[in-house]
Order: sequence, then structure tokens, then C-alpha cells
Amino acid sequence: MRVEKAVLVFKKDWIETRRNWQVILPIIVVPLMISVFLPVVLGLIPSFAVSQGSGLNGFETLIRNLPSHVQEQLSGMTETQVMIYVMAIYFFAPFFLIIPLMASSVIASDSFAGEKERKTIEALLATPISDGELFFGKMLVSFIPSMIVTLVSFAIYTAVFDIIAYGLFNGMLLLPTLDWILMIVGLAPTVALASIGLTVMISAKVKGFREAQQISVVLLIPILALVFGQATGAIVFGPLVIVALIGLFGLVDFAVFRTGVKLFKREEILTKLA
Amino acid sequence: MTPIIKADGLTKAFGSHIAVDHLSFAVEEGEVFGLLGPNGAGKTTTIRMLSCLIAPSEGGATVASYNIAENPLEVRQTVGILTENPSLYERLSAQENMDFFAEAYNLLEPEKKASRIRELLEFFDLWERRNDKVATFSKGMKQKLAIARALVHKPPILFLDEPTAGLDPESAKEVRDLMEMLSRREKHTILLCTHRLEDAERLCNRVMIINKGRSIVVGTPNELQNLIAGKPTVRINLQNLDSKIVETTKRLHHVARVDVDESASSLTLVLDDVRLGTPEVVKSIVNAGGLVLAVYVVRPSLEEAYLQIVREERK
Repeated sequence: MRVEKAVLVFKKDWIETRRNWQVILPIIVVPLMISVFLPVVLGLIPSFAVSQGSGLNGFETLIRNLPSHVQEQLSGMTETQVMIYVMAIYFFAPFFLIIPLMASSVIASDSFAGEKERKTIEALLATPISDGELFFGKMLVSFIPSMIVTLVSFAIYTAVFDIIAYGLFNGMLLLPTLDWILMIVGLAPTVALASIGLTVMISAKVKGFREAQQISVVLLIPILALVFGQATGAIVFGPLVIVALIGLFGLVDFAVFRTGVKLFKREEILTKLA
Repeated sequence: MTPIIKADGLTKAFGSHIAVDHLSFAVEEGEVFGLLGPNGAGKTTTIRMLSCLIAPSEGGATVASYNIAENPLEVRQTVGILTENPSLYERLSAQENMDFFAEAYNLLEPEKKASRIRELLEFFDLWERRNDKVATFSKGMKQKLAIARALVHKPPILFLDEPTAGLDPESAKEVRDLMEMLSRREKHTILLCTHRLEDAERLCNRVMIINKGRSIVVGTPNELQNLIAGKPTVRINLQNLDSKIVETTKRLHHVARVDVDESASSLTLVLDDVRLGTPEVVKSIVNAGGLVLAVYVVRPSLEEAYLQIVREERK
């Protein structure tokens, strides 16, 4: 596979995408709002909960399942500090797996289905760019912007949270932790690639962009399961769990790419022109 | 001479519908070969198979000696294609569209790429608008840009699918003129799909009429016209008709028969080639002292020939 051809497809698609504000705005605004909104909620809700006397209700299972060294750390904290710490470091972590999925889903759904709708696909398919190069190029144009958005969102989340928590934790900077770094630079990209690969595959098979987007929403379900698993304490994202998930999703990425290229049929795409 | 395009029993079925049915033909290098046929005849499907966009259900073809089943990337690199729709990226400028396709077709050296793109955009009168988004272009400009895109990597073979379809008469003429210049200047082998008979008559060396995916007849436009009307006939009205003029015309190379109507002061000549024969006849009549009032070619046009052939096929 010639990577430069995939990069060529990426560059072309990216120029098109960044000139379309209907696509760009939701990709940028929603994740940025989340990255500011979540730490602000952290600053308000725990104190509200404590003042209402609810304390750590609802977090006991999550706290109980945390690694022993973390529990030792928590033992010296007040209830408010524990609540902020647990929510910031563990409860909200899986949300940052949803951000790259949200950011990439619009572009990935548009990858082939959009070209079919705009009737530009035939000239693209007629070029001497191989199936693998085309497929990879279409994945890159969703992957790179979504990862940039994720990293920027994480940086903002970290900064806002550390500013809010600075006074509450006697000048300690809690983020980033090893878990978060592993999750943002390892797990988020591998999860995003699997989801993007599947969405691009769907986009090549269906007639239009809307159809592709509607079907690709299903791909959020496993990630939402991780979010709820963490929230209820069923799964705790410790370093080992994250590394295991990175390995698992790495294999899924490989399988998705191979299957996507194998199922990529120029003829099928052309006969499904809108 | 080995044909540059050779289709051998090319067949394409979509379910129970046979779009192309055992089509065999050969196109020589430098030839402009027309595929004529009504809508749904199988013209676009044939071009898509030859450019490796869809696979034949049966049969095969070679394009520039590459087998379409075994060497799809090489075939795609060898041909330039103008698809039914211009297939241009409307949010990109003309220059950005050309840059993308130049690199996709492996024209990678920046200087060569820039000079080829400039040459084409100037040739198609689009250079001044190169930085404008394609969305702002007229239909005719988009079509010209799509042809420029097909030519960017200097392909020896061009597949043009309905290049004048949907254009107003002025733009259609402009595109036709450009195609004529291209075939003369750059000596491309062109496979032209059209149902515009004036395009085929003016541009094609040979045409193949297809209907329901099957080949009905192949020949030069002249041969197809002759097929319907027999040999072409020319009637010439004169102010002065005498035996010297009649004898002179009878001796001419392209003249097969001369009928004289003295009362109408006219000659009716059966020619073996109307394009070559008519000027020769007129010149010799004038040299023999004749005063030519009018010249009529009495024969069906390619359009009439085409319609009759397709009508008979339908029966």
C-alpha cells in the first residue's frame, strides 16, 4: 500500500471538510463544551451533594473497586475531595472515548456515501488508487481531526479541572494521571479507529450520508457500556485494564481494516449511486 | 497492427437484466471510435467495464495490452475518463481539483504537474478562473474542466461518456471543437459514447451502433449511411448543361454513374464517397465551363441511418 496515496485522499477530503461549517461546527463545539462543562460540574455538584447529605451515595461500588493504592490515597481526603477526585479521575474518563467517536462519525459517514450523493465518486474510483489506499485515506480524514479534537478537549479539561481543584486539594495538580495519558494516547485512538473503519465500511455500502450516520450510531453502544460499567463500578479503568483494552482494540482495528478493504467493491458503490 | 482496445465477448448482467451482451470490437491506436445507441443500450456499462470500475460477467478485454481483469491499476493509469457526470469536487477550486487528480494519476513532479495543469487550463480557457470554486462554474465550464482532468496525465486512451450531454448548443459546439482539436493535436485514441449523431459524424473514424447491449453494426459514418441508402447520390443543377460536361464527370474517379435530366438542366451522380467525390465533380464541371447553380447531396444523414438501423433492430 502506498501511504502517500492515502494521504492524498486525506488532504483532498480535509480541504472539502474544513470548508463545510455544517460539519466542522458540531465536531469542534460539542467536545469543547464537554471539556469545559464537566470540570465546572465537578466544582459544583459534590459540594451540593454533601450539603444535601447524600455524601458518597452511589459511588461506593466504584470506590470499593478502585486499586488499593488509590484507596489509600482517598483515605486521607474529605468526602468532598473524594467525590471530586473519583468523578474527575474515574467517572468522567470514559466520556473521552465518546468524543473521538462523536467527532469522527459525521466525516466517516460522509466518506463514500457523501461522494455518492454529490456524484463525485465515479471519477475517484476511476483513478489508479487501490482499494486499500482509498479506504485508508477515508479513515485518515476522520481519524486525524477527531484525535486533534480529543487531545485539545483533554488539555482543556485538564487545565480547567486543575484550576478548580487547585484550592480544594491544597495546591496539588491531579491531572493528568498515567491512566488518563494511556487512555487519551492509546485507548481513544484504537477505539476511534475501529469505529471509523466500521463507519467507512457502512458508508461504502449504503446509498446516502443520513443512512450511514443512522446505522453508525449503533457503534456507540459498546462505548456507552464502558461508560456505565465504570460509573457503576463494574469496570475500573486502571492501567492494566486500559493496556488490555488497547491491545484488544488494536486487534479489532486490524480486523476491521482488512475486512473493510476486502468488502470494498467499486462496482457495488457505483450501482448504489443516489 | 495490434488494436489498443480489444473487447472479446464482453458481457455484463445485473441480476436477470443483461446490460451488455457479448460485445466484441477492436479500436486501433489514434482512432476515434464511437459507441452509439439509445439510452440504456449499454454504452456506459461498456466504458465502466473497460475502465475497470465494474467487472464483466463474461468475456474480457485488453486496454493498451493490459487485461482488465488482471491489471486494473495499470488500465486505470493508462486511460483518462470523462464520466457521465463531471464528477468534480465543487468545494475545491479548479486548480485544487486538477492538483488532486494529477497526483492520483502519479504526475508527482511539482514542475511537470504545474506546467501540465497550466497548459490544460489555458487550452480550455479556464486559467483565469483557476482559483475559483467549481461550484461557481457554469455547466459548460465544468464539462471543460472534467475533460481537462481526464487529460492531466497525458493518457494514450480517452473514454468520453456523453461529453456534450446537457449542454446548451453553444457550449456543446465548443466542447465538440475542443475534442476535435484534441484528437488532432494530441493524437489520443478516443472511445466516445454518445447519442448525439452530429458528434459522431464529425469526430469518429468508426462507429458501432449498439442496442440492448448487443452490437448491431460497425463501420465508418460513411459506410453506415451507405448501408441505408446504397451509394450516395449528388444532384447538381446547372445553368448550362452540355455533352462536354457530362463526359468530363463520367471520367471522374469517384463517380460510379451519371444520369442526365436535360429538361431540368441537372445531373444526378452516384458517388462512391460523397465527401471526396463532390468537390472533385464540382471543380471539373466548372473547369469544363459549367455554371453551377446548386448542389444537393441526396442521401440520409447519419442520424437517419442510425434511426433506421435501430428501428429495424427493434422490429
